[in-house]
Amino acid sequence: MALTYGTDEWNQAYDALVKERLESQSKPFVMGTPEWVAQYEELIQNDAEYKEAAKDWEGSVVIKILAKPDIGLDKDLYMFMDLWHGDCRFVKIVPADVGESADYVITGEYERWRSVMAKELDTIKGMMQGKLKLKGDLPTIVRAVKASARLVDLSASTECKFPDELDAAGIEELRALLKRAEDELGI
Amino acid sequence: MVDVKLAPGADEVAMAVMLSDMLRANLEKPEKLKDFNKLKARVYINAKDAETEMTMLFDKGSLTVYGGKEGNPDISIITDAATLLDLANINIKMGMPYYFDETGMAVVKKLLKRELQIKGMFAHYFALNRLTKIMSLN
Repeated sequence: MALTYGTDEWNQAYDALVKERLESQSKPFVMGTPEWVAQYEELIQNDAEYKEAAKDWEGSVVIKILAKPDIGLDKDLYMFMDLWHGDCRFVKIVPADVGESADYVITGEYERWRSVMAKELDTIKGMMQGKLKLKGDLPTIVRAVKASARLVDLSASTECKFPDELDAAGIEELRALLKRAEDELGI
Repeated sequence: MVDVKLAPGADEVAMAVMLSDMLRANLEKPEKLKDFNKLKARVYINAKDAETEMTMLFDKGSLTVYGGKEGNPDISIITDAATLLDLANINIKMGMPYYFDETGMAVVKKLLKRELQIKGMFAHYFALNRLTKIMSLN
């Protein structure tokens, strides 16, 4: 039985998983893993340009990566960013129901997000082409277009290995990690 | 409830849907609605980098959005996707678009560098002003 999101137990278990992974894995981390998300969180929290651009921003943003079982993503992945007036309170992988309830959910297939993170696809362009879909108040996102662009730039500047670059053993390892996260944390 | 409708097929053009939604939200503000009710123009928008285009037919209080180029436009806006959103961030001061702050200057620079092309800018100056006010989120 998975722990309930938002409880102290859940947070402690999530932090323990991140700590264990940061100690056991070497860089570059695999995109979408808890250790990669932690690296991304640190980048946002220390970025002066983001803080300035997002000083009026209020609300949570979720990057939703649609499932792609052949590379180990058996379920949709929700990367939840709790953002408030230039501060990034946290970035975590969360259960689907929590992810769907965020203020803004940007959804795309794995390949689209890979292109975004490889700086081959601009998020705004992706949304206008329908490659990425936004759920949430569009005018608010448009007003904060610089902050949104900076968030994406930062995701692209993390050192990372993409799941489709993994060999068969690596894909199985990723699948096992995400299964463990599902069993223990409901994500 | 403002009269903003998507022409058949426009719902398949993401940019048309996005901008329609944005306009609907904007038109809840009385000062925007006033300009909307006076605007009569056919506006074509082409986001070059996104390879997507749309046409908005404003007819004094109603708007029909087409996915693609439809008819002969009075105003054509050709630029990249991000600049289109910059246009939505232009500030309005004393009822007019304001080009002397950071956002406005960035738009003017893009115009001068031809990264933003607005055809019909002078022939339809008043319509363009109204359009800018309606599209602006500020």
